[in-house]
Amino acid sequence: MEFVNPEGLRLDGRRPMEMRQLRAEIGAVARADGSAVFEMGNTKVIAAVYGPREVQNKSQLSNDQALVRCEYTMANFSTGDRKRKPKGDRRSTEISLVIRQTMEACILTHLMPRSQIDIYVQVLQADGGTRSACINAATLALADAGIPMRDLVTSCSAGYLNSTPLLDLNYLEDSAGGPDVTVGFLPKLDKVTLLQMDAKLPVDIVENVMQLAIEGCKAIATYIREVLLENTKQLEYRRGL
Amino acid sequence: MVGLSLGEKHFIKGGIDQNIRSDGRKRDYYRPIFVKTGVIPQANGSARVRMGATEVIASVKAELGKPSALHPDKGKVAIFVDCSAVAEPTFEGRGAEELSAELSVALERCLLGGTSGAGAGIDLTSLIVAEGKICWDLYIDSLVISSDGNLLDALGASIKAALANTAIPKVNISAAASADEQPEVDISDEEFLQFDTSAVPVIITLTQVGRHYIVDATSEEEPHMSSAVSISVNRKGHVCGLTKRGGEGLDPSVVSDMISVAQHLSELLMSRLDSEISAAEAEIGDDEES
Repeated sequence: MEFVNPEGLRLDGRRPMEMRQLRAEIGAVARADGSAVFEMGNTKVIAAVYGPREVQNKSQLSNDQALVRCEYTMANFSTGDRKRKPKGDRRSTEISLVIRQTMEACILTHLMPRSQIDIYVQVLQADGGTRSACINAATLALADAGIPMRDLVTSCSAGYLNSTPLLDLNYLEDSAGGPDVTVGFLPKLDKVTLLQMDAKLPVDIVENVMQLAIEGCKAIATYIREVLLENTKQLEYRRGL
Repeated sequence: MVGLSLGEKHFIKGGIDQNIRSDGRKRDYYRPIFVKTGVIPQANGSARVRMGATEVIASVKAELGKPSALHPDKGKVAIFVDCSAVAEPTFEGRGAEELSAELSVALERCLLGGTSGAGAGIDLTSLIVAEGKICWDLYIDSLVISSDGNLLDALGASIKAALANTAIPKVNISAAASADEQPEVDISDEEFLQFDTSAVPVIITLTQVGRHYIVDATSEEEPHMSSAVSISVNRKGHVCGLTKRGGEGLDPSVVSDMISVAQHLSELLMSRLDSEISAAEAEIGDDEES
């Protein structure tokens, strides 16, 4: 199947190095300490952060840092065929772990000992790249909650089909059987905090594809910064400053 | 949720007694309602409803299936509610299982009628394709993304809006099929039938606090209730379903009074929802044209 046609256009009309349209909204859930909706093309996720708050399970309490917990769930209607079990399946557990480890690495947990930060991510529409969208949404939600972080964490995926590196795979491209490289990146510190890949890829191509994903992460970071700046301006305006 | 102090509880109860609730509403006022339809493109119909800070998304998916042997002329509808942890940290893991089950059953009772399918708000006979062989199975999935009280009413409104947005594809059956065989079906990609929602009821929950009933309770008002009655009323003013929750007993005259209050309020809520839904559908129409 042709994923990149001779003119260089992908199935949805994008160029190989073009990302899908990004859209973010802060403060979607009124009751949460911080929340955000993040869309990458047709993939839409909502993240809510509750914390720092008192630790619920005293056995997990840590005297020198905050406990970070994460749960990833997909809505019944998020995929083309109905999902029967929204949570508890192995893929959700793995992604919950991945998001938790990524966010934990950048939250300044030592500033909030004996407390707990809960990150809940819900996928409303899944069209490839849900992992990345969730990490981006979680970053925005944590910023909205005012939780101190070392840097923004952004994430993007890249693949390699028809001998072309492709940025930001959608569901069709992802399920084509080619490699899928997901990168989590700290833009200011210029460090990679998450790197996952499945399927085969020649060693000399890996560097290229990973670099492409990192470029995608940098672009998302620019967008997220804009959104946060706009949000702060709105808050200042409402406070009459 | 942070616990309320004694002073706060007195404030809330006193306000309800004097017909001024803590957000300024009267006892029989609903919070501002916003409806947006067509939010899930891959579903047959969907809607997002916000009542104050309570927000729910409902989606309707139609799949072809076989009607049950007891009712060969009726399609099937299943309603599932999922409370997301995003709305409330206590909904994490299996914390919301009980609440989700309670809400699913209450919605099925209000909208689907009895076990025989009689008196359903959704006309199941309109879902039949080939009697006894092929019918549409509607799966209605609701997700609670923000919880600030009165979940049942918001869910009922979102399902009504999602059904109004639902378009079921036309099915062409090949005529040359014997009585025993499964006929071949051709699902049209072009032609759709808009679902008829004129008989779908709205759900009104009346919460009794002290000697008065309030409608559309927020999450800070709900803990004070002595009992709550959820009544679903359709366009004609007929009661389609009734659920009473809460430990305290109710005098039968109070129940009849609550039913008449609900019938009166349902007219207002129904017309408000209808105008919101048609505004939302018109918005989609504008977007498609532009």
